[in-house]
Amino acid sequence: MRVVVADDSVLLREGVVRLLEDSGFEVVGQAGDADDLRRKVYAHKPDVAVVDVRMPPDNTDDGLRAALEIRARQPETGVLVLSQYVEEGYALDLVGEGGGGVGYLLKDRVADLDRFTDSVRRVGSGGSALDPDVVARLLGRSRRDDPLEEITPREREVLELMAEGRSNNAIAEALVVTERAVEKHVTSIFGKLGLAPTAEDHRRVLAVLTFLRA
Amino acid sequence: MTSLRRALWLLAFVGVVGGAVPMALAIGSDHLDNRALNVVFGPLIGWAFIGTGLFAWWRRPENRFGALMTAVGFTWCIAGLSVADEPGLFIAGLLLGALPYGFLVHMLLAFPRGVLEGRLATVVVSAGYFVTTIMQFTWALVYDTTREECGCPPNPLLAWDNQGVADFLYTAQSILAIVVIAGLIVALYRRWRGMSRVQRRGLTPVIFTGLVLAVDLAITLAADLSGVSGAAEEVIDIVGLSLLASVPFAFLAGLLSSRVSRAGAVGGLVTRLADAPRRGELRDALAEALDDDSLMLAYWLPDTASYVDARGHPVRIPAPGSGRGVSHVERDGRRVATIVYDASVAEDDPGLVDAIGSATALALENERLDAELCARVEELRGSRMRLMEVGMAERRGLERNLHDGAQQRLVSLALTLRAARTRLGGSEDGAGELLDRAELELELAISELRELARGIHPAVLSDRGLPAALESLAARSPVPVEVGVLPAERLPEPVELAAYYVISEALANVVKYAGATHATVDVARSNGDVLVEVGDDGVGGADPARGTGLRGLQDRVRALEGRLAVVSESGQGTRVKARIPCG
Repeated sequence: MRVVVADDSVLLREGVVRLLEDSGFEVVGQAGDADDLRRKVYAHKPDVAVVDVRMPPDNTDDGLRAALEIRARQPETGVLVLSQYVEEGYALDLVGEGGGGVGYLLKDRVADLDRFTDSVRRVGSGGSALDPDVVARLLGRSRRDDPLEEITPREREVLELMAEGRSNNAIAEALVVTERAVEKHVTSIFGKLGLAPTAEDHRRVLAVLTFLRA
Repeated sequence: MTSLRRALWLLAFVGVVGGAVPMALAIGSDHLDNRALNVVFGPLIGWAFIGTGLFAWWRRPENRFGALMTAVGFTWCIAGLSVADEPGLFIAGLLLGALPYGFLVHMLLAFPRGVLEGRLATVVVSAGYFVTTIMQFTWALVYDTTREECGCPPNPLLAWDNQGVADFLYTAQSILAIVVIAGLIVALYRRWRGMSRVQRRGLTPVIFTGLVLAVDLAITLAADLSGVSGAAEEVIDIVGLSLLASVPFAFLAGLLSSRVSRAGAVGGLVTRLADAPRRGELRDALAEALDDDSLMLAYWLPDTASYVDARGHPVRIPAPGSGRGVSHVERDGRRVATIVYDASVAEDDPGLVDAIGSATALALENERLDAELCARVEELRGSRMRLMEVGMAERRGLERNLHDGAQQRLVSLALTLRAARTRLGGSEDGAGELLDRAELELELAISELRELARGIHPAVLSDRGLPAALESLAARSPVPVEVGVLPAERLPEPVELAAYYVISEALANVVKYAGATHATVDVARSNGDVLVEVGDDGVGGADPARGTGLRGLQDRVRALEGRLAVVSESGQGTRVKARIPCG
């Protein structure tokens, strides 16, 4: 899988590159700022770009903005955005209205090798990956008439894992239950949230998030 | 009695006599078309100009205007000699017959300062003298006075009797005179346009009288050229003479009344200031006394060696030559204030404004102290704002340094540790366990640093504005928070930050003290202000004086000229409200 890595911290960028290469990814380009990132991504057309939120030239959310642009202009490239802070706003921007191919992780998750490479792979193949903290915060928000109140604790666990972008299989593994049990929970959740169930992983996340941001 | 006064009295005497002579001559003249008109207006106009001219001369000796007016009067009287039957007197009157108009043009353009301003005025006046002297004299040399049916005495100066040349010269003179009058009208109009508001108010009637007179003279000349005669000519004559007779009075009135009398102004002012004036009233009183709406008072601050107005805002004293007069007021040898006024106010009485200043020095000193206090407050307000801005900038910088430095390094350290552990494999000397612990510690350190950096400055606020930042704040609050409708547009940065910190601190207090189950956050715009309100359904009874948190917020909001209020009845929940001006 071909990857472009963008981060203005050389130290960290090289750490991530080494880690990805060790795990069998092909890093085709490195960028130190948002403009450089756009150039490299449009030139190399990688499967996925791993992007730091805060980058030059403005040192605000330049990386995120570049990522959104890339998604709009070159849908075959997925973007996995790394952020120093958990910001639901950033995550919701990424998820947007469109399809998958997006991810949002706290920066320090890169040290959790398996999870990180799994996320890169998922985003690179059109799926999605959201940081558990972001998901927890989105689901934990208080709302006036909270439909999540009807959801059982078990269903909530399933919903959180779903929101992270996990497949039913992975959820079953994580919760140590059968896949059939997970399917039942998912159907029940969709029923309570008034959503039509679909087969695709990332569509489920989108459905959940679209509902959450409404 | 000064020599000037003596000379003026002498001139007055000569003038009275000089005016009477043509009247006497007119009564006995045997070559006069309109005896009554001459008998009445001849001396009347002469006396009017001489009398008012001498009066103006006496009141404003340094102003040549009075002398010019007097000259018009005298030449008018001499011109009156043309009614004499004696050829010598007759020709003298004829020679100087046009000169009063030359002086009149000069006088009109020299009003009110007695000097000509601008090239046009100089050209017009010079041309006027040329037409009324040299052309008149030349014409007198070729004009056979006995030829016409007027029954005039013979012309002793007649050098070359040529009717055609005489007629040509007469026509040329009249046409040139009309041109001069046209120039006069243009110059007067320009003059009026160039006047300050204060000048204009006083002088408009005068200039207007001059303009009407000029137009009438032009009509008279044009009528003469085109051969109008009979009743029409008489009407034009009477109107012209009446206007001419009224001009000196209009100009004298203008000259005197457009000026403020020193005694009147000072007296009225002192009476008015007997009641202690409120702030700003002093300026109004002075402006009224000097009849100058543009008057400005600047108070001197010795500490900063600068000027401020009554409210303590810095003001600048105009440079010399800007059309503004400047008068410094001192008290006990120390500068108190400076009066800046329309320079035309003191044109004729340069000491007037100084006199006004001295009379009001005490009141000015009082107001100066007030202004100084205001200026101090203003300065403190400014420095508080600057301090806060510096603080904000420093926090932003600190957060950025943490983000770009320590945070990145720690994450990259985590990567290295992870790599080390992979490299180590299944070593059994306990190193793996140590690395596990190190990784755990590191994870905690990273997350603590993250919270610290966010507390120092929320990056999302700068990036995304209040809605995103509040969303984030609400999401991490242990007490459920309902965020209401927020302003759609971005607020100015200091306001945004202040609003954010008010909400963040208030929500922290809700969690710590209120025992609430629910909190609300609302931000709205109202009349250029931002209203922030954080409410909860907790125990209430919060004391705004308690703790440094609320006081810090109070300072932050006050630095932006805003207000913070805490309403917290026991058992009624707590509402923290802030109103922050938006720019």
